[in-house]
Amino acid sequence: MNGFIETFHIDWRLMIAQLFNFGIVFLAFYLLAAKPLRKLMKERGEEIETGLQNAKAGMEMIQKAKEEYEENTIKLRKQSIDTQKELKKELEKLRDENIERIKKDEEEYVKKRVVQFEIEKKALIESAKVEIVSLATLAAEKIMDKKNQ
Amino acid sequence: MAANNIIHETTIYAEPVFHIGSFQITNSLLNSWLAVLVIIVFCVVLRLRLKQIPGKIQHIFEILLEGALSLCDQVTNDRKITLKICPIVLSLFIFILINNWFGLLPFVGSIGYLESIAGRSVFVPIFRAGTADINTTLALSIAIVIASNIFGIITIGVWKIFNKYVNIKVLADSVTKFRADKNVIIVAPISFFVGILELIGEMAKVASLSFRLFGNVFAGEVLLASMGAIFLYLLPAPFLFLEVFIGLIQALIFSLLAAVYFTIAAQDHQEHEEKH
Repeated sequence: MNGFIETFHIDWRLMIAQLFNFGIVFLAFYLLAAKPLRKLMKERGEEIETGLQNAKAGMEMIQKAKEEYEENTIKLRKQSIDTQKELKKELEKLRDENIERIKKDEEEYVKKRVVQFEIEKKALIESAKVEIVSLATLAAEKIMDKKNQ
Repeated sequence: MAANNIIHETTIYAEPVFHIGSFQITNSLLNSWLAVLVIIVFCVVLRLRLKQIPGKIQHIFEILLEGALSLCDQVTNDRKITLKICPIVLSLFIFILINNWFGLLPFVGSIGYLESIAGRSVFVPIFRAGTADINTTLALSIAIVIASNIFGIITIGVWKIFNKYVNIKVLADSVTKFRADKNVIIVAPISFFVGILELIGEMAKVASLSFRLFGNVFAGEVLLASMGAIFLYLLPAPFLFLEVFIGLIQALIFSLLAAVYFTIAAQDHQEHEEKH
């Protein structure tokens, strides 16, 4: 053992000095580099994770809004189609009613005209009859006058 | 003519450069202080430049830290243990790496003074790689083995760590379980002996860790000195690159083995054996 110590000049004070050196390196590295850096990396990691979670939540909200928009669009389109159909029906009904009314008015007008025509015809016939009678009377008078002459 | 008489010898030990009282300040200790200073300056600069949005240095360091954590995870298989041991393992890696690489700087081994030993002028370099001194590697190895056992005590308890080396529990069990299982009388002494082997194994860990690192770095220095002696220009360059790589690998091996020892110490082997 003494031979080994003498050959390699082993000195316990040098060993302690070198251990002290390592201790300083350990403290410097741990307190000034590793610990703050690890803390910083952890904080950054957490921030990135929070950011990603927020982004994910935002994306989900956008997706939800998009789905709602699409749902509402479909609903509105359906409502619009239904309204259009109802309006069409209403219009058709209105048109049919109008046609019906016009037809009815027309028929009434025709009937009125026929009646009026009949009345006018009768009046005309009556006046013609009167005319004929007067003419006949006049002719008869003339004939009579001639005979009397 | 006088220059030819100067002895340039790469000694296996670190040479004392000056003394503070009876305490010898060796060239490897000086280099180690330089390495510590550089690491502290780097850490302070990094601390001052830490921002939520990282710059280039911070970005590189973050990548290294994440890489180190994932590498530790591969060893421990447990993030909690990784977070506990990673600062030690990583600072160990940086300390050894910078010390290894500082041994390759141009002024290390080349700037020194002449000392007269037994009538001959011997060149004593002022700087020498911190890890090219067995005192450094041995101190680190002992500290790691002790720290791993302390970590084991904190994690799984004193009794279990004590029984890992001096397996009293298995001897006590052999008395209580003898009627149910006769084989226990053979198994118990073997298990007790295995515990003693574990204790020897801890010492072997110290030896293997310290001599592996010291041997590699010192061999690198000798290799570079030899190549420089053969032909000073260009010839040492490829070996210098090789030493840069070896410095990195050795730092990685040492720190990874430290991580392994910490992980092993934190595992409850008795519970594991009882489950099976």
